Amino acid sequence: MSGHSNWSEWVYIGVVVAILVWVGAEAWNVERIIDHVPENAEVIKVTGQQWFWTFEHADGTIEKGELHVKKGIPYKFEVTSKDVIHSFNIPDYLVLMDAVPGRINTVWFVPVDAGQFPIQCREFCGLIHYNMRGTLYVEDGLDR
Amino acid sequence: MKNIIGLFMVLSILVILPIIQIVFAAGDEPEKYVDRRVEIWNLFFRMMTVAFVVGAVVSGTLIWLIWRFRESNPKATPTKYEGTGELDK
Repeated sequence: MSGHSNWSEWVYIGVVVAILVWVGAEAWNVERIIDHVPENAEVIKVTGQQWFWTFEHADGTIEKGELHVKKGIPYKFEVTSKDVIHSFNIPDYLVLMDAVPGRINTVWFVPVDAGQFPIQCREFCGLIHYNMRGTLYVEDGLDR
Repeated sequence: MKNIIGLFMVLSILVILPIIQIVFAAGDEPEKYVDRRVEIWNLFFRMMTVAFVVGAVVSGTLIWLIWRFRESNPKATPTKYEGTGELDK
């Protein structure tokens, strides 16, 4: 239609584009911030297998089904799997990372509350997936 | 066209440039541990705020459009096709 005004459509497009840019930038920025591992983070190797978790600390200590950490210290998990795909999850700390055979995925966190917290597998991994649980023990350590 | 360019300039100054600035300035904060729970939930709440505002504006606009341009609205004006038989063809 000749001569019809379409300024409102451009306003609409502009607003939608601005919102999408904002949403994308915010999400990207938060992801970038939480992906940045502190240099002094202690590495814990996490291995999933049907149907339990194994944790290997930097000093060679190995724990199965339970993990002891100290409050206020950053930990970097190197997550992998021995058999099928699992997903390492500590719901209370929003830690969630796929455990994939042949890959090492990393995720880090700082425990800030002492106590016991559940660990679970968050990817259906077979018959006893529902019981592939563990416990995170956060002990009072160096507060920062 | 000038209006459109002007509109985009205003939008970019008000919205886009501050975002870019915030994004690129991030990471310059003094060293401290990030609590991923705080970051993730804050992002979630910000996104929910935007989602609900957009939802309210869109649904409000639709409701207003339907109310304003209903046939029985006293302010309704016939389109140029009405009464011409054009619509009966």
